[in-house]
Amino acid sequence: MPPSTETFSDDRFENLRQELRRGSLPLAVLAELRTEHYGYTLRKTLADHGMAIDEGTLYPLLRRLETQGLLVSQWREEDKRNKRFYRLSADGKLILKQLLIEWKSIHASLEDIF
Amino acid sequence: MALVDRYLHAVKFWLPRSQKDDIIAELSEDLHSQIEDREAELGHKLTDAEVEPILKRCGSPMAVAGRYLPQRSLIGPALFPIYSVIIRSLFFFFLLPWLLLWIGIVTFSPDFRADHSGALFATLEPWWLACTYSLFFNTLVFALLDRSQARSHLVNNWNPRALPAERDHNRISRNATIFQLTVVVATLAILVQVDAFHRVFHFFGLTITLSHLWPYFIWAMTALNGAEIALACLNLSQPRWTRLSASLRLGLDLYSWGLIYLLFRANLLQSLSGNDLPSTQAVKLVNSINFWTASSAIWVLVIGAVVVVFDVLRILRVEPRASTMSAETPAESIDGRRERDGPRDTPHV
Repeated sequence: MPPSTETFSDDRFENLRQELRRGSLPLAVLAELRTEHYGYTLRKTLADHGMAIDEGTLYPLLRRLETQGLLVSQWREEDKRNKRFYRLSADGKLILKQLLIEWKSIHASLEDIF
Repeated sequence: MALVDRYLHAVKFWLPRSQKDDIIAELSEDLHSQIEDREAELGHKLTDAEVEPILKRCGSPMAVAGRYLPQRSLIGPALFPIYSVIIRSLFFFFLLPWLLLWIGIVTFSPDFRADHSGALFATLEPWWLACTYSLFFNTLVFALLDRSQARSHLVNNWNPRALPAERDHNRISRNATIFQLTVVVATLAILVQVDAFHRVFHFFGLTITLSHLWPYFIWAMTALNGAEIALACLNLSQPRWTRLSASLRLGLDLYSWGLIYLLFRANLLQSLSGNDLPSTQAVKLVNSINFWTASSAIWVLVIGAVVVVFDVLRILRVEPRASTMSAETPAESIDGRRERDGPRDTPHV
């Protein structure tokens, strides 16, 4: 007998859930970096918004986005510790705008399908 | 914080040289921020036992470092399916039969065991070499292809019309059946032509006398050929495998390979004589031929077993509904496609 939707929480769901969230992470990170953050506070802010992301995923993502020219970073001392601060670059702002339009379009399409 | 330092050191080992310090500085800052927050929560310095779950949650050093590295593979997903088919084909159609033959020889041939006593597994060396070389060179060629322009050519240059037609396992090729029928009729004609039902034959000044069992074999072969003709006619009238025709095929193959096995084991050659052949040499020759055929009988069994396995698989994959398709016209298959000629899908006698 197939499991009911109320108790459906096996690996298949978890894998698909992670895949769905993974696809949205760059958008969430870019949107959050409209204001400057260093890694740890960015993680906390994203978690507060319900987009928890572990350090092993966030830092490689930040590095990739920076390599693509969407972010700029700077090492600065704060609270007696060196921290790397990230913010959106000019290109990043343009891409974020386009991505938001795309995301809204996907959202509308899905709403339409549901 | 010795635990954190050890962790960071372990991560650093796997990182690309140019980014080691930068990545470690950032990861270190994150871990220390987490620890500080936790200390503020608990109101005391964290012990190693309390730091451990933080590091565990972060992931193993190799996994953490791996996320900073570009995704790499020796053979990418575009070429891997072809690579996989080739490796599997090599294994199932070359290496596995070779290994099975070796096991068969070792099991059934005391002479072979005696000749290689003490170094039996050394006789498998060519097999091991074939495994290693085929795997190595195939992997090397595909890894090079994956990194060359050929990959994009293979992946992007394709034409739906050039794709092979869908294979119908239950179709019997008309050409193959006609070929088989021709061979069987020709064999019968030769048997009659050379008057094969006798035991004594004269060729090129030689007189060959066969065992008294020979006529029985010839009658058995004649009966087999008759049955083959009947099955070929059935297949021509109904060019799809049914449970009945596939079972008949299995029965005939069992019968024919059994017959060949007995033929090899029967010491059929009784005597040889000729003007230029001294009698002692003739006896030696007769013994050698009989010995050679008797010791080759194992190969007949092995080949026969392979044929029988194919026959059984054919019976298993016949769709139950295929047996109800007797009204179907010979030139048209179940889904209405025209009958096309092609090679038979499995070997048989």
